[in-house]
Amino acid sequence: MSTFTLPVATPPSMGRPLPALPFEVDRGRNAMWLVIATEAFLFISLFFSYFYLAQNKGRWQHNEPPKLMLAIIMLVVLFASSVVLHWGEKQVKKGNTAAGRIALIGTLILGIAFFVIQIYEYMDHWHSLTPFTDAYGSIFYAITSFHALHLIVGLLILAYVLVLPHYRPTDESPYLPYTVASMYWHFVDLIWFFIVGILYIGPH
Amino acid sequence: MSSAAVVERLTEIWGTPETAWGWFSTVDHKKIGKRYLVTAFLFLVIGGIEAALLRLQLARADQSLLSPEAYNQIFTMHGMTMIFWYASPILSGFANYLIPLMAGARDMAFPRVNAFTYWSFLLSGILLYVSAFMGQSPHAGWFAYAPYTTLKYSPGYGMDFYCLALVFLTISTTAGAINFIVTIFRLRAPGMAISRMPLFFYSTMTVSFVIIASLPALTAACTFLELDRRWHTHFFDLAGNGNPILWQQLFWFFGHPWVYVVFLPATGMVSMILPVFCRRPIVGYPYVAISTILTGVVGFGVWVHHMFAVGMTQMAMSFFSAGSMTISIFTTVQVFAWIATLWKGRPVLTAAMHFVLGFIGLLVIGGLSGVFTAIIPADWQVHDTYFVVAHLHYVLVGANMFPVFAAFYYWLPKITGRMMNEPLGKWSFWIMFIGFNLGFFPMHISGLNGMPRRIYTYPSGLGLDGVNMLSTIGAYILAVGILLSIINLFHSLRYGRLAGKNPWNADTLEWDTESPPAPYGSIHIPTVVSRHPLWDEHDETYDPTGERILDQGRLTLATSALDAIPNAISRMPEDTIAPLLLALAMFVFFIALVFQAMWLSLAGVIAIFFVACYWLWPEAEIARAAP
Repeated sequence: MSTFTLPVATPPSMGRPLPALPFEVDRGRNAMWLVIATEAFLFISLFFSYFYLAQNKGRWQHNEPPKLMLAIIMLVVLFASSVVLHWGEKQVKKGNTAAGRIALIGTLILGIAFFVIQIYEYMDHWHSLTPFTDAYGSIFYAITSFHALHLIVGLLILAYVLVLPHYRPTDESPYLPYTVASMYWHFVDLIWFFIVGILYIGPH
Repeated sequence: MSSAAVVERLTEIWGTPETAWGWFSTVDHKKIGKRYLVTAFLFLVIGGIEAALLRLQLARADQSLLSPEAYNQIFTMHGMTMIFWYASPILSGFANYLIPLMAGARDMAFPRVNAFTYWSFLLSGILLYVSAFMGQSPHAGWFAYAPYTTLKYSPGYGMDFYCLALVFLTISTTAGAINFIVTIFRLRAPGMAISRMPLFFYSTMTVSFVIIASLPALTAACTFLELDRRWHTHFFDLAGNGNPILWQQLFWFFGHPWVYVVFLPATGMVSMILPVFCRRPIVGYPYVAISTILTGVVGFGVWVHHMFAVGMTQMAMSFFSAGSMTISIFTTVQVFAWIATLWKGRPVLTAAMHFVLGFIGLLVIGGLSGVFTAIIPADWQVHDTYFVVAHLHYVLVGANMFPVFAAFYYWLPKITGRMMNEPLGKWSFWIMFIGFNLGFFPMHISGLNGMPRRIYTYPSGLGLDGVNMLSTIGAYILAVGILLSIINLFHSLRYGRLAGKNPWNADTLEWDTESPPAPYGSIHIPTVVSRHPLWDEHDETYDPTGERILDQGRLTLATSALDAIPNAISRMPEDTIAPLLLALAMFVFFIALVFQAMWLSLAGVIAIFFVACYWLWPEAEIARAAP
């Protein structure tokens, strides 16, 4: 074989004996972290585009900045939904699946409320600005509608978790769908914070 | 249980029936890896035929074999095919096939996602080539600068195919990257701490993170372009206060890291192959690993060097020029590690080793011309000339295709179970090497003489006739060399000597499995105590109690990310048709978007939703056998 003497280490530490090991439950969460990372970079690209296009002030200065009121209300709604969902996740982990389902329904209602307010806000906004007006309109609607699309996906995922037959509080694939769905939902909420900060508060 | 009974049981658990259903529903990483390799190689052949047409047109001055529009479409398809549908997927193919085997795992972390990435890679390629059958291929080069790509200057569906096929492919590639990262971090054999991982793991892990961070910029750029083209927005439209340079910023923020995506795994494979044929461990393992990671990181700080000719502040340009020169240091570290390994070892000149050595030579030439283009005044001189074409082909062909051929000669015995013909392989190498240099070295000269890239013809008497004829001859010689290797493969499938487990006396775990490997990999999940499991005294499969057989269903071991201490048992999914259905639904969605058939695309979205529900529905729990 090789002319090199390689170090003969002690056999690897095996931790507990294998038959005592639990089933692994992290892969879904691991993957969701990475999904969130890549989605975060998508929004970074969008925000970068916003700032890059803002160099061409031209017309932008004459645009009145978007109204704050509704955006802040939407922020509160989304934040509340995250709080409710987080509470529900804790309940499911404790084994209280009924409370978990109620929290899901609450989150869904708040999410849909957000969506309805956003439609109202779009209709209000549309009089002065459309995506076809200029580059500002294009990027404004692109960012907010990308967020809305993510919100719809989040709602669908939560609704799906709601109809799942069981989330048993053991380590056998129990609250996992619940946790993974919540991670995504919290991320979508977080993005709205940035949108409010950059698109709404920034120009004021 | 007797050993034969164990084998039978594991085969029953992990095997896929040889039926049409099994063919479409398999999630076996080895089958998927092979499909990736074959499909990506077919794209290489298609892209090669396109290149052959281009070179035929340019062989002599004032030819009219191809019309200007046809020429533009063909060079664009050549670039896209090679960069997106060959160079990266072929590396994914190797990674798919090899990483679970090298890690001693039974499959990738997400076998169904793995199947999905293959099907969506294939279907996105088909989506791109639908455009060719319509005679409306993309025609603006692989980086497709706005505003030329907007509807006004590029009517027809070509650029729509460009945008949507690429967005489709980014979904596939991102899913694959996530899969590789989780596999590498969670499914390594007990004892394979990160300080003992094969270097191929470092490179694949690095590029997977690069993919996660960089591909969204491409998605955003393509989405903006499609919106501008068909939905009247103004991202790249100067008249609407947009900015065409935004495309370049977004595209190159993705585009330059992508160069490392197609390059680093190839160097990782070289770092696996070269030490085996030098009969010693690689010199400077930690430095090679660290410089691999740093290449990925600094790769995000160089994108503007593609845009030096655009015009921007001195400060920005100096920064990116410095970044571009810095990154060459990390590649140099790797090159010196290989040279030191050669120096200290006893090189065996197999066919695979020929390709490795050829790669090192070409990489040095391509890297040096890269330093030229990183220096701003020099870059302004050679920008958009054939010098750049020469540089990028030395880097991409030299540093991707040659290592890929080395990898074929090295790992095909494992994959097919039969040895390749060595003399024929060496002939193939020399013909490819001579053809490649004859074809591409003169392009440095034609570029310095002022020949712009992407022109369909040139008048004679400008000092370009001779060098272009040389390039064409070289390209065809290169093609002959590649053909020899293809013949070699088919010959070996039939007449090759049986490879046995470890024909090269190599050091990593994949060589401890049968050739070709059984569906379950190895009977006992191996344990590892050094960087070179098969070269040390430790018996990887020593398992007197049989606790690492894990034959109670599709199971594999999950270990901790740093030290690889077993901490759980992972359940693996059964075969399913859902990945194929999901990819098909996405195909419908994207092709409907190309033609703005909005109802059909809505149907695609609904189909995606229902397939996803079907996919994610919890299955009956696998009964855990009593310990």
